[in-house]
Amino acid sequence: MKNCLKALRAARKWSQSDLGDQLGVSRQTINPIEATRYDPSLPLAFKIVRLFGRPMEDIFDDEAELKD
Amino acid sequence: MLSILGTDDMTPEQATSRYFKVFIPAICVYAAGTAGLTWVVENADLSTGLTYSLALAPLLAIVCAVWAHWRIANEIDQFLRLIQIRGTLFGFAPVMVVASGWGTLEMLADAPRLPVFWLLPTFWIAQSAATAVISKRQGVF
Repeated sequence: MKNCLKALRAARKWSQSDLGDQLGVSRQTINPIEATRYDPSLPLAFKIVRLFGRPMEDIFDDEAELKD
Repeated sequence: MLSILGTDDMTPEQATSRYFKVFIPAICVYAAGTAGLTWVVENADLSTGLTYSLALAPLLAIVCAVWAHWRIANEIDQFLRLIQIRGTLFGFAPVMVVASGWGTLEMLADAPRLPVFWLLPTFWIAQSAATAVISKRQGVF
């Protein structure tokens, strides 16, 4: 699923490890989410939404999946 | 919370370190125990009951290894857990194919007996290799 996690993280000058620490996951998990190779679980998606204070649809874009 | 099945308050590095601290000694005990017992059984006149009992003893080490694997799967985060599960499925694949395929040949076509002892090493080797390859492809290391 497309997302703007990398841009949001970069805007705050956080490393992947920094973001992982705040979300309670490893750097190795942040990397594939940003690269859209892995979709986060619903609880993790909610953590991301709360951390950045943005609506879910602002961060994650499921339109490509819906078109399929 | 600390539990026998793992704690969620642990980094992947800590979980991996704990895993190898149990897994490597367990596999060494298993290998040494199996080799030692093979020698004893071949060189001593043991009763059938004692032979069975001794032959099953190394399985305790395997139980420890499986427990360590279960624990790390609980302690790492969701993406790393997915890699572990995929690696484990790859590990089961050759074991199931060989056990079922060759087992059918043994049962129906009088094929030579395959030593099932080697299924466990086959699983661990396939699982470890698959997990390493998947991890590498996913940029874990």
